[in-house]
Amino acid sequence: MVQIITSDEILEQPKTLRIKFFKKGSLQFISHLDLVRTMTRVLLRARLPLWYSEGFNPRPRLIFATPMSVGAESECELLDIRINKEVNPSAVMDALNRNLPPEMQATEVYYPETKLSELSFSSYIININTEGADASMAERCHTLLNTAPITVVKRSKSGDKPVDISPMVDCASATLDGGTIRINCVLNSASDNFLNPEYLITYLKEKMGVLSGNPMEESYEIIRTGVYFSNKREFR
Amino acid sequence: MTHKQISTVLKSVSKPGRYIGNEFKQIIKNKDEVDVRFAFCFPDTYEIGMSNLGLRILYNTLNSDSYIWCERVYAPWIDMDAKMREHNIPLTAMESGDELTKFDFVAFTLQYELCYTTALHMIKISGIPLLSADRNDSDPIILGGGPCAYNAEPLADFFDAFSIGEGEEALNEACALMRDMKRDGSYNRRDFLHRLAKIEGFYVPSLYTIEYNEDNTIRAYTPVHDDIPTKIKKRIIADMDSAKFPDSFVMPYIETVHDRIMLEVYRGCIRGCRFCQAGMVYRPIREKSPETLCRQAKCLYENTGYDEISLVSLSISDYSRLDELTESLLEWTDDEKVNLSLPSLRIDSFSKELMDRVSSVRTGGLTFAPEAGTQRLRDVINKNVTEEDLMRAVNIAFESGKTNVKLYFMEGLPTETLDDVAGIADLAKKVVNAFYKNPKRNKSRGVSVTVSVACFVPKPFTPFQWEAQDSMEMLVEKQKHLRDCITDRKITYNWHDARVSFLETVFARGDRRLGKALLLAADMDVMFDAWDECFDFDRWMEIFESADIDPKFYTRAFALDEVLPWDIIDCGVTKQYLLRERERAYAEKTTPSCKENCNGCGANKLGGKNRWCK
Repeated sequence: MVQIITSDEILEQPKTLRIKFFKKGSLQFISHLDLVRTMTRVLLRARLPLWYSEGFNPRPRLIFATPMSVGAESECELLDIRINKEVNPSAVMDALNRNLPPEMQATEVYYPETKLSELSFSSYIININTEGADASMAERCHTLLNTAPITVVKRSKSGDKPVDISPMVDCASATLDGGTIRINCVLNSASDNFLNPEYLITYLKEKMGVLSGNPMEESYEIIRTGVYFSNKREFR
Repeated sequence: MTHKQISTVLKSVSKPGRYIGNEFKQIIKNKDEVDVRFAFCFPDTYEIGMSNLGLRILYNTLNSDSYIWCERVYAPWIDMDAKMREHNIPLTAMESGDELTKFDFVAFTLQYELCYTTALHMIKISGIPLLSADRNDSDPIILGGGPCAYNAEPLADFFDAFSIGEGEEALNEACALMRDMKRDGSYNRRDFLHRLAKIEGFYVPSLYTIEYNEDNTIRAYTPVHDDIPTKIKKRIIADMDSAKFPDSFVMPYIETVHDRIMLEVYRGCIRGCRFCQAGMVYRPIREKSPETLCRQAKCLYENTGYDEISLVSLSISDYSRLDELTESLLEWTDDEKVNLSLPSLRIDSFSKELMDRVSSVRTGGLTFAPEAGTQRLRDVINKNVTEEDLMRAVNIAFESGKTNVKLYFMEGLPTETLDDVAGIADLAKKVVNAFYKNPKRNKSRGVSVTVSVACFVPKPFTPFQWEAQDSMEMLVEKQKHLRDCITDRKITYNWHDARVSFLETVFARGDRRLGKALLLAADMDVMFDAWDECFDFDRWMEIFESADIDPKFYTRAFALDEVLPWDIIDCGVTKQYLLRERERAYAEKTTPSCKENCNGCGANKLGGKNRWCK
């Protein structure tokens, strides 16, 4: 087994290490806080040379890019951690994957040259399995998602209020694939300008009555497929 | 049933993470290659069940035999339960996703009387016949265990057998019997239960008939076979150092109640508080060595990634080698930034050194349990803690900057008067005063003292097992009296619902006739009685009325010579000892701990290594 730590020397400044991982299947049902807790334990089990914050209650530092909400899957989650010794990234990836469940595995580990705050967009696939899905329903979905305003009720501290989310939808298309309505879309996902893809479902539910039948027969999935810089280049 | 089939349902319920399973270190076996399938059910939510150390230990010991596959089952919360019934989704085991009807054993750990209805509800939604008498050879064997199994008579109609005492060896023996009988083709329910009843520690209620006296008390228990014991002796693990202990835990994704390494330090208790069932039924005391504990702690730390180790026992400061243990743990825990926590600290053992050493004490609030407000009453219950002990402890806490103290008490204790109740307010006030008199206190903040008062519940196998419970009216009056006595706004006062404690007593000291009420409750889908949002006292009173049961029959004073529903069980501690302790209570005499003097409780006849009572 390749050693994780390549030099026992403690770094003067902690280094950031980026972990790209997928999170799918049943793990879509764990919340962001649960993910933080789970990952912290995985990092400890993997025996990574974690850097701890100073002070009364030292903690490792974990920063996730644009957290997903419960019920969404992802092929490209990003986590930045801080380490206090040089590591071999591929050995880190092996150690992580031994300690992660099959539905959540690291796909890349590297020393990043960018900040997570430079991430601006995410692409998603949304599959809707609903009664009566056909080409004309897909077309209506497509039209609705490409016609401003797209008004949904957003929850905030000051109460529920209607908001037009169309400026946050960069592009969206809806097609019929078998019996499934498939939406491909790119949405704003900067930390200060984030659109939860669930709102598109909410909007279509309200406008078209999709997914209002038997929940044992109807379903939908949201999968994040990519993350991008503001110029649409793939984020790394 | 997989999460995929019910994904839309999962997206519509609270905390769906508790239904997905697939945790790190869950144990998956090939169901075609195992002989015995064992569903270990916890009759409460996932977050509570995943915190239970007993279940974690038994999950490990059962699965250590390759022919057994033990899986976990938790109760769906009410929103999920409603969806499951609406869409005919059956209750399934976490690991395989299989329905409970496919298992050989469906076992419940009974931690608390108010989980009985949840257990029955789980049987019901599994599609297994609720009454033991209605089950046939293809149905699972329903087992019960845990602290409430010491008097599980109210569940006798529903459960096929109870495992009495510690289950690590007994459950594997039951599985071996099942395997052997299935292998040689001799398996049928009737013969299996008969043979199970001959294994030490198993109580098969259907094999004992009960006669009642005209006054409704019990006349006698009679075994229906000559070759089964007349009294069921509890099982213990003799040597804790060689007992199996998990080297890893199933790691929950979602936050659970006790989300940390739980390291069991010893079993039993040397104290003998007269209200405490755990202190009696877990005897004799058996310790693990610090070497064993350190090895287990290190191993669990490496395999789980938890950053907190909690030293678990009934009273951690009574562990004879506590200094040695914490010293050797601290050799590596500090470097690894692992916190040590010591719950269940006694007031008289609280010290500055301990406080500095143990981070949970360093960072969290402090809780002490004087249990009663006056020295007289503390002597009656044999708490063996004085006001000076409490003042010394809180002053240590105040000097190190603490401003929050929680105090636990009970009301309705035998011989309690309104003066004893007022004593609780006095004691709390003295703690407030101690803060302001302490020159080294944290002067930037005020003090906050929380007084939490539970209602006394007389429990089987305690010196107070015969006592009447105060009427609900009396309990409420005492609660009001205490509220009137507490005038200081720095004292926060919490009290328990007397109606919940009433119901707890009914089931704790109940007999088989309560089965009728539980059956009605199951029909009405009563469950989660321990949860405020589900507890419905008026509905329970209606149930008792329809079942023609007077619940007050079970909260009355039991006669010292009457046959008790739990007399069929031998927990080690003898009735003579409990009677002696009861007399001493009324004489306001304390009894020294087992460390100071053997008081002849009788538990030493069960054997066991590393105990005080040699």
